[in-house]
Amino acid sequence: MVVLLCVPTGAAALNLLPAPKGLDARKIASHVEDIFRGKTSYVEGTMIVRSPRLPEPRRVHLRMWDDRPRHRSFIRILAPPKDKGMGFLKLHPNLWNYIPRVERTVRIPPSMMLQSWMGSDFTNDDLVRDSSQLDDYDHALLGLDPALPGEDGAPSIVLSYRPHEDAPVVWGRIETWVDAKRYAPLRQDFYDEDGVPLRRIRFSEIRDVQGRPYPHRWSMTPLDKPGHETIIEISEVRFDEHFDDGIFTKRNLVRGER
Amino acid sequence: MGLEWQLAWRNVWRNSRRTALTVAATVFAVFLVVVFVAMAAGVHGKMIEDSVRMHSGHLEVSGKGYLQNRTLDQYVRLRPAVVNALDAQHELAGWAPRVDGFALISKDSATQGVIVLGVDPRREASVSSLASRVEKGAFLPSGVKRGIVLGGRLARNIGARLGDELLLYSVAYSQEMAYELFTVTGILKLPELELDRRLSVISLRDAQDFFVYGNRVSEIALLATSADGLPALRDRILHALPQDEKAPIEVHLWNEVMPELEQFIFLDDAGMYIMLVILVVVVAFGILNTLLMSVLERTRELGVLLALGLRPIAIFRVVYLESLMLAVVGLAIGLAVALPTVLYMQGHPIPLGGDLAQATAWLGIEPIMTFKLKPLNPLGSVLTILSVAVIAALYPALKASRARPVDALRSL
Repeated sequence: MVVLLCVPTGAAALNLLPAPKGLDARKIASHVEDIFRGKTSYVEGTMIVRSPRLPEPRRVHLRMWDDRPRHRSFIRILAPPKDKGMGFLKLHPNLWNYIPRVERTVRIPPSMMLQSWMGSDFTNDDLVRDSSQLDDYDHALLGLDPALPGEDGAPSIVLSYRPHEDAPVVWGRIETWVDAKRYAPLRQDFYDEDGVPLRRIRFSEIRDVQGRPYPHRWSMTPLDKPGHETIIEISEVRFDEHFDDGIFTKRNLVRGER
Repeated sequence: MGLEWQLAWRNVWRNSRRTALTVAATVFAVFLVVVFVAMAAGVHGKMIEDSVRMHSGHLEVSGKGYLQNRTLDQYVRLRPAVVNALDAQHELAGWAPRVDGFALISKDSATQGVIVLGVDPRREASVSSLASRVEKGAFLPSGVKRGIVLGGRLARNIGARLGDELLLYSVAYSQEMAYELFTVTGILKLPELELDRRLSVISLRDAQDFFVYGNRVSEIALLATSADGLPALRDRILHALPQDEKAPIEVHLWNEVMPELEQFIFLDDAGMYIMLVILVVVVAFGILNTLLMSVLERTRELGVLLALGLRPIAIFRVVYLESLMLAVVGLAIGLAVALPTVLYMQGHPIPLGGDLAQATAWLGIEPIMTFKLKPLNPLGSVLTILSVAVIAALYPALKASRARPVDALRSL
């Protein structure tokens, strides 16, 4: 009889050091989640899309209001000029897109959810999905990675997130690299259910925002599409502001400014 | 030799009722084989022709890997050199460049994912029957700016009528948002349900603008003047087309573009041939039975012939001649009935109704049953029946020629 031994791929390939005692994976994951998301967040930034198709990277300047507890968010496109004033309104589970140049609002149907968002490597689903990396996953400590040091040069902590059975998530597993000192996220690898790595996000330019070590540059590479990259450069971010209900309305969507 | 012919001919008609029955069975078999093979050839030829005229053309030029991926990343750049190379091909009845993309179509609150096909109306007419499928309105008239033609079911599903403005929404090749308003100029009636539900057609130039696709096209459909010798024509065209270092191109035969159609035809043919083989085997046993009966009946007579000095090989030949005569008579009458029938049917296809019509519509072909007589068909029937006669006669002929005169004379 042949016995097949399943080697835990990530940890085996990574060559990790054993983690010190006393680290709690869930607690660290909770810190990471807190850094990314307050109750609400306002972000202004630029999305840069690189691809073999494009001689020059495309840049999209945008603002985003995210009201997490109420499962709603709003995005306004500021540039390029052709798309200026375009808006996206998410009222879970729906996503609307207003296009000022033709004065039309489109509700993105479920069949389009896995299509690219604004030509980037993110999908519409990434915008709409309402899962939480804290509540929808079980967290385990894999070890320390000297190959990816954190702020002070110390090895980063590597965590593995596995989704709960019934969680509304698309990933089979997420591996997260976290700065050992302040638990700032450094990198995340996303795997499908068969353990194939699909996506990698690197976080850098970590600066303090309201006491959080917040990464201001996110670089996402789809691992199945060589030459593609989507970078988000965040120029301004504010947490836990009170948002007017009027922001998350179709009326605001068609106003085209703000 | 003359004696053997005479003996055989008389033996055949000695029991005329039995002979007539055997001949009738052969006639029946020949008739069925000829008609069924002609019908299969007709129906399958029609399916291929309809599909070729609806989709791929006989040959399809596309970017490397397009058949597997079908995304905007595989393309042919429609440069003047390509246009000239195709125009210079005298073996082509026409060629049509197409952009094949995906978009969301939206009218009021109704949205649906659709195939966006960009075509050059003038060139498309030389290759495909698409324009003739317009049921209402017109196929992209030149006077209308940004016209769009919809499949009938698609139009119904989103409630679009002639003159309505629809939004097409997608991601362009340049990885920016693609959105544009189009005016419905025509509504198609397509036999294929899936296409009727999903197809929208715009002009090639509009499609290239919409997808920010430059002079690129997804595919070029080629219609040959004749459906024979396509592989050779493919090679000539591939050779004649200027190669594009940035975007290598391929030329495929219709059966590579639509393998499911070829597989369907193969399965259908296989079913038919199994049935025909059973039919022919039954006829073979009929001939075997007749000959064996007549040989057994004549044991004494054969004994006399042998005793008189006829050589066993001559007896063998007599029985064989009998078998061939039965087969030839059956063949002659069978072909005399079958060929005019098929020739008549060729000019008078049978319209299908009811469920059959729906089934053919699902397969994307016109609901008529056509016949086509290929030279190979009667030739094949003749060879089949003759070889059946040859094989079936073997045992009776051997039995007759091996009889020993003494034993034979003693029997009945």
